Amino acid sequence: MTDEQGTAGAVLVVGGGISGLTAALETAEVGNDVFLVEKSPTFGGRVAQLNEYFPKMCPPSCGLEINFRRIRDNRKIRTYSMTTVKAVSGGPGNYEVTLEVAPRYVNSNCTACGDCAVACPDEIDNEFNFGMGKTKAAYLPHAMAFPRRYVINKDALSAAGAEAVKAACKYDAVDLEMKTETITIKVGAIIWATGWVPYDATKMENLKFGQSDAIITNMMLERMAAPSGPTGGKIVRPGDNKEIESIGFVQCAGSRDENHLEYCSHICCMATFKQMTYVREQYPDAKIYVFYIDLRTPGKYEKFREERMADANATFIKGKVAEIVPEADGGVTLIAENAVTMEKLSQKVDMAVLATGMQPSLAFQGAPVALEMDANGFVITDAAKAMIAAGCAKKAADVVTTTQNSTAAALKAIQVSRR
Amino acid sequence: MKVQPDLEFIKSLKLAGGDTLKKCYQCATCSVACPLSSDQKPFPRKEMIWSQWGMKENLIADPDVFLCHQCGDCTEKCPRGAKPGEVLGAIRSYAYTYYGWPAGLAKLATSAKNLPMLIGVPALIILIFWFLSGAMHIPSVEEFAKKGYTNFFGHWDFKWYAKNIFFIVAFMVPAAGIAAFSIYKGITKMWASMSKNAGIEPTFRPSVMQFLTQFLVPSVTETLQHKRFKECTTNVDRVKGHLPLVFAFIGLFIVTCWSLFKQDVLGLIWPSLHGPLPLIDPFKLLANASAIALLYGIWVLWTNRTAMEAKGKSSRTFYDWFLIWEIMAVGVTGFGAELLRWAGLPTFGYIVYFMHLVSVMMLFLYLPYTKFAHIVYRTTAMCFEKYRESGFAKNVMS
Repeated sequence: MTDEQGTAGAVLVVGGGISGLTAALETAEVGNDVFLVEKSPTFGGRVAQLNEYFPKMCPPSCGLEINFRRIRDNRKIRTYSMTTVKAVSGGPGNYEVTLEVAPRYVNSNCTACGDCAVACPDEIDNEFNFGMGKTKAAYLPHAMAFPRRYVINKDALSAAGAEAVKAACKYDAVDLEMKTETITIKVGAIIWATGWVPYDATKMENLKFGQSDAIITNMMLERMAAPSGPTGGKIVRPGDNKEIESIGFVQCAGSRDENHLEYCSHICCMATFKQMTYVREQYPDAKIYVFYIDLRTPGKYEKFREERMADANATFIKGKVAEIVPEADGGVTLIAENAVTMEKLSQKVDMAVLATGMQPSLAFQGAPVALEMDANGFVITDAAKAMIAAGCAKKAADVVTTTQNSTAAALKAIQVSRR
Repeated sequence: MKVQPDLEFIKSLKLAGGDTLKKCYQCATCSVACPLSSDQKPFPRKEMIWSQWGMKENLIADPDVFLCHQCGDCTEKCPRGAKPGEVLGAIRSYAYTYYGWPAGLAKLATSAKNLPMLIGVPALIILIFWFLSGAMHIPSVEEFAKKGYTNFFGHWDFKWYAKNIFFIVAFMVPAAGIAAFSIYKGITKMWASMSKNAGIEPTFRPSVMQFLTQFLVPSVTETLQHKRFKECTTNVDRVKGHLPLVFAFIGLFIVTCWSLFKQDVLGLIWPSLHGPLPLIDPFKLLANASAIALLYGIWVLWTNRTAMEAKGKSSRTFYDWFLIWEIMAVGVTGFGAELLRWAGLPTFGYIVYFMHLVSVMMLFLYLPYTKFAHIVYRTTAMCFEKYRESGFAKNVMS
C-alpha cells in the first residue's frame, strides 16, 4: 500500500467523479502512487446521479462499478472521501498538501446493514435527489455508494435521534465524537478533476424556477427517471404527482448567455434528446416541445437526433424560451418566438424542464490554491507547475470526452513526476 | 431566397450605434422581452437578421422599427450583448436620412463633423437678416425694459404687419416649409413601401375623416398618454423626461400661436396689445411652465443617457445626442433670454436671444433628418399598424 506520506512521484487527484476515477486509475496503473480525494461521502460524482448516460445509454452502475472495483484492487491508490484540499505549499515535484477530512460519524466497522437509518427519527432533504424527497439523517448517500458506508448528518440529529442511532448499531460503528482530521501528504503533481455543479436555475429570473413545482431542471429529471430516484423511476410532476400529458424542454437555460454562463455547456442538447426517450417510454402519447437556439449534436450523435426528431408527437421550436408563466392549474406556459414561422407563441405544458448548464465547481466554490483559470472558472493546465486540469474542471464536456482528457491528464502528471 | 447584402448599409448601421449587430445569434429572447412586440408580428429578432444580411428594403419599410421606444428591455435580456435596442435606433437613424429631402441636407445632419455647418448656416442666415433689417443695434436699458425682444429686427410704421414678425417669418417659415415638404415626401414613400412589403393591395382608401378618426387620433392619444412607453421596465425612467418634454412642446406651440394671433390680428385693433406679455398673463404662465418642463425633461433624458452609456447599455452616437443638445440649447437660450430681460442686460440678452433664434431654426430645419423625426415617422407607423389590421387593408375583390 502507498506510503501515507507520499513520494515525489505521487499524484494527487482532486475530485472523485468519472474524471478523477479515470485519472487516478490511469496514473496508478502505470505505477505511480495516487491520492484520490473527494469532498462528498461517496465517489462517482455527477455520473452516479444520472439515469442513463452516453454513449451507450448505460445506467451509471455500468462503468462506475468496474472503476470502483479497479480502485479497490489497486494498492497504489489511497482514497479519501469527505475530504477537501486546504492548502498547497512547495513546488512542482515536491508539493506538500494539507487535506482536511470531515467527520463521517460512522467508522469502518459499518457493514451498511441500514439499521441506523431505520431507527433514526430525523430527516433531511435528499441532496443526491436535488431536494426531491427526504432521507434519514443517518443515511447511505445512494444505492451504489462507494465506500459502502453510512454517513450521519450530526447537525440534523436530535438528542433522541443520536441515542436511537447509537443503540441501533450492532457493530459499534457510530461514533458521534469523531473530529475533523488534518492530513499532510507529499506529491509531485496535482490533477484537478473537481467537476461541475448544475447552474443555479433561480438566477434566470424570467424562467421562474422555484416558483412552480412544474419547473424542474434536467438533472432533476435524471433523478426522477432513475429507478433509485425519488419516484422510483416514474416521471411525474413534483407536488401533485400528475402524469405528464405535455412537457417542454427549455434549452440553453443559462448557457450561451453572457449574463449567466457565456459558453455552450456542450451536453444539454444531447441530454434533452436522451430525456425525450425517458418520457416516450413512459408516455407513448405525451406531447413533447423542445425550444432551442441551435441543436448541437457533437460527434457521432447526429443519428440519435434524427430519431428523436422523427417522433410525430414532438415539436421543435427554434427560439429560446424567454419567459415562463406559472398557471393556476399547476402547469406552466412557455413563451418564445419561433424564428422560422416569425410568430410569438405561448405553449402551455404540464411540466417544463430547464436544460441548465455546467458551471465549473471551482468557479462556484473557489479554488484552495491559486490556479490558472479562464474567465469562466475552468482550470487551465499549467504543466510547468504540475497543476493539471481534467474532466469538466477543464471544459464542459460529456463522459466520453471527459474520460479521454482525464487519461491525457494522467499522462501529463506521470511525465511531470518523472522529470 | 437569394440575399444580396447591402454592405454599405451594414457599415452605416455599425457607425450609427449598431456596432454590436453581428453578435446576434437569433435566440429570439428580445422578441419576448419587448413589451411592444405582438404575437403575430414579434420584433426585434427579425430586424436583427435583416440587419446582419443588409436587407435595407425590408427594414426601412418595417413599421416595427419605428414602433420601438428603445426602452432597453431587449438589450438588458440579450444573452450576447447584441443590443437590439441600439441596432433599431441605428436603423431609424438610417431611415430618416434615407427618406430625408433634400438628400444633401439629410446627409449633413448625420455627423458631428458637420456641426460647424449645421450651426453656422442658420446663424449666418439670421445674422444676414439682422443686417438686412437695418435694426442692428443694441437697445438702451429703458427701451429694452419696455420692448424686450419685440424690436430685435427693428420697427416700422406699417401697422398691418410688424417688422419684427416679418423678418422672423422670413427665415423660420422657409425652414419649417422645407421640413414639412421633406416629411410629406418621406412618409408618403414610407407608407407606400410598408403597404408593398405587407402585401396590401387595398380596394378602398380611407377618406381623410376616416383616416383621422380611425388611425391618427387614436395613435396621437396613445402617444400623449405614453401608454406604450410606460410598459418598459429597464429604463422606464425615460418616461419621466419624455412626457414633460412632449407637454412642454405642446405648451410652447399654443403660446406661439396665441402670441401670433394676439400681436398680428388682435394687435391691429388694439395696438396696446403689442409688447412682452405681463408675468401674470395665463399664456405667460403657460410659457414659463412649459419652459421649466422642457428644461427638466431634457435634463432627465440627458442624465439618463449618460448613465446608460456609462453602464455600457447604449452607445454614444451623434444621432441621439444631437437632438438632446438642440433641445437643451433651445431651452437654455430661451429661458436665459427671458432672465436677462428681467435683469435688464440688453447686450447680453440680445446675444442669447440671437442664439435662441438659431437653435429654434435648427430644430425646425433638421427635424426630418434627426431623431426629432420620430414624432412623424412613429406616428405614421402607429397609424399603419392600425391600418394593417383594418378592413381598408383587405382586398375585397380577390
